[in-house]
Amino acid sequence: MKAAAFEYQKPTELSAVVSALRASNGEAKLFGGGQSLGPMLNLRLARPKKILDVSTLPALKVIEDLGTAWRIGGGVTHAMLEDRVLVGCEPLAQVARGIAYRAIRNRGTVGGSLAHADPAADWPLTMPALGATIVIAGVSGERRVAAESFMTAAFGTALAEDEIIAAVEVPKISADARWGYWKFCRKTGEFPEASAAVLLDPQRKVARVWIGALNGAPQSLNALAVDIAQRGFLAISDLSVSQALEPVLGKIDAAQRRLHQTAVRRAVQLATA
Amino acid sequence: MSMQAINMTINGEKIQALVEPRTHLGDFLRDNQRLTGTHLGCEHGVCGACTVLIEGVPSRACIAYAVACDGQQVRTIEGFEEDEVMAQLRTAFSRFHALQCGFCTPGMLISARDVVLRCPTADAHEVRVQMSGNLCRCTGYQGIINAIVSVIESRRAANADRVEPVATAARAPLPSFQAVANQASAAASVAPATASPTAAAATPSDTANKKPGTRIEDAFEVDHPIDVVWEAFADMPKVAACLPGAEITEHTPTSIKGKISTKFGPMRAAFVGSAALERNAATHAGSIRGAGTDSLSNSRARGDITYALSDAGNGRTRVAVAIEYSLQGPLAQFSRGGLVKEFVKKMVADFAANLNARLGAGSSASGAPGEAVAAPAGAAPMSPMDAAGVFWRWMVSTIKSWF
Ligand SMILES: Cc1cc2nc3c(=O)[nH]c(=O)nc-3n(C[C@H](O)[C@H](O)[C@H](O)COP(=O)(O)OP(=O)(O)OC[C@H]3O[C@@H](n4cnc5c(N)ncnc54)[C@H](O)[C@@H]3O)c2cc1C
Ligand code: FES
Ligand code: FES
Repeated sequence: MKAAAFEYQKPTELSAVVSALRASNGEAKLFGGGQSLGPMLNLRLARPKKILDVSTLPALKVIEDLGTAWRIGGGVTHAMLEDRVLVGCEPLAQVARGIAYRAIRNRGTVGGSLAHADPAADWPLTMPALGATIVIAGVSGERRVAAESFMTAAFGTALAEDEIIAAVEVPKISADARWGYWKFCRKTGEFPEASAAVLLDPQRKVARVWIGALNGAPQSLNALAVDIAQRGFLAISDLSVSQALEPVLGKIDAAQRRLHQTAVRRAVQLATA
Repeated sequence: MSMQAINMTINGEKIQALVEPRTHLGDFLRDNQRLTGTHLGCEHGVCGACTVLIEGVPSRACIAYAVACDGQQVRTIEGFEEDEVMAQLRTAFSRFHALQCGFCTPGMLISARDVVLRCPTADAHEVRVQMSGNLCRCTGYQGIINAIVSVIESRRAANADRVEPVATAARAPLPSFQAVANQASAAASVAPATASPTAAAATPSDTANKKPGTRIEDAFEVDHPIDVVWEAFADMPKVAACLPGAEITEHTPTSIKGKISTKFGPMRAAFVGSAALERNAATHAGSIRGAGTDSLSNSRARGDITYALSDAGNGRTRVAVAIEYSLQGPLAQFSRGGLVKEFVKKMVADFAANLNARLGAGSSASGAPGEAVAAPAGAAPMSPMDAAGVFWRWMVSTIKSWF
């Protein structure tokens, strides 16, 4: 349970981080909060030659109001979002407080969670449901990727080995928008077995239903979302939910299927109540 | 090993030390600073026994590294002598029998103090939720919860700083609206290409687990006659040459030995193993049964693959595969079953697409071969034989060795 040896560096500028990443040829790992990387280092599942500690990098800690969106630095911790309700992005605080435990939330970061891309994690589900954009920094500047296409597979993302998540931009929702979020966890704070997020924003004509805790990246249930926008909770039946889930779930065992169905139903219920 | 000099303030005292970067804060506190009140249970963030304050907030000492705490403040269970809340908690813990062996207690107390201060109106349920990251094998938790609740209540009574829960106003009913389907985020630029060709006929399914291990079944069709495909599947070395990370070191008609190196997110593994091969020409069916070890992560894997070819008409062949695998050791702890399954599924899909493309005859299901089947540098252009083999070599290694 002891990590293999690694070199340690703590750059003080974002530009230094990306050039160090580039120079390392894939042998360096960023250290955000260490709440996913730490366990993997200790289990020796990850054996990077070098650790680049960005846990205190000021540029990544900024939470900024952009008017129609909030820009949240990649190094902002779950606890920072839990403690500060951002007007127009209230769902973030709600989701944050349900991630793991306070000791983990004090260190784990939004950027680290998105980059780690655990299919059952909370931010990889929440960000596409809120229509967020991931701002990625590399040696040649910034590029932007929609959260919905950022995660490509279990532990797979659009991030190149020499890039860092600089920030996430989360568009503000209208004052009367509704959010529903549901997770089934074996134990409070553990990764869920099924999860769903629902956003209904009549003013912006946005309706999204996303489900997580799949074998791969979270998926959107678009047709169901449009139907819910029109008919509210009436759009939800055993049949409609299982039809919407069918292409996403494939053939899985009945108990798991039920969990996913119920997570969707409850998230919709919370959003439409 | 290169050591780095660090400065830290531990329980109010400034210290200096030389540490190896890999030394976690828990080990540093216990072994270097002789502060053995910080306990280590799981060492991967789950049990909470190692909880200390870093920069004033509860943190896991086992997944924080001492070198990263350079210049920071750390407070351990030994550092609360003078602390009012901690004194109240200590008394309450003994009064309510909130400990037995005491192993979890330092972490419990540090988390409990945070809850008392951060959630001054918490009820028993909320305390349970807030304390869910600290495990206790002895008490059954009731005593712990009672103790913490008693401190919260007595502080509330004493301070009379009771905050009434805000009454939530009834919400206006949600209006019906016409949502714009498929809204992409306004700001997004080009999404990167994802190498995930969907195989035409790949219909993954998994049936009941009869034996221990996970079972995946898959099937796809190839634009070639059954005999050609059957022969191709026998050619192990050529198959291996088409897969990144795979190497066959020895092979006979009935056995193979080899290695596959693979990357799964941040994890890397190199499984070395061997497998027994069986083929039945009469039924066009075969099996590969193998096992392997990844010496880096000390994980073991076992896998049985059975395959059957059948004539799909028009000179096409249907390939049905069943894979059953199990994984033991640290890698298993980290990779939940479904993730491995997804990984395997994607590889099969990539292969099916690639197989058709390489065999060349018909139009392929997908033009772009997935990255998983990209030929390593130096490989000769693949003949149909090679391509058919790709499938096999891949399965052998991945399943047998990897998992
Ligand atoms: C016991 C336990 C329970 C948990 N439960 C949950 C849960 O219920 N839900 C949930 O969502 N999560 C959960 N987590 C994970 C937690 O949220 C982590 O904080 C998060 O996944 C990773 O964030 P981090 O900042 O700690 O990243 P790190 O562990 O530091 O890094 C993770 C990966 O991301 C990379 N990385 C880090 N920062 C960046 C960046 N800015 N840009 C690009 N790459 C970066 C690293 O190189 C590494 O590969 C749990 C963790 C633990 C230990
Ligand atoms: S030892 Fe750190 S959480 Fe278990
Ligand atoms: S008192 Fe023994 S583990 Fe909690």
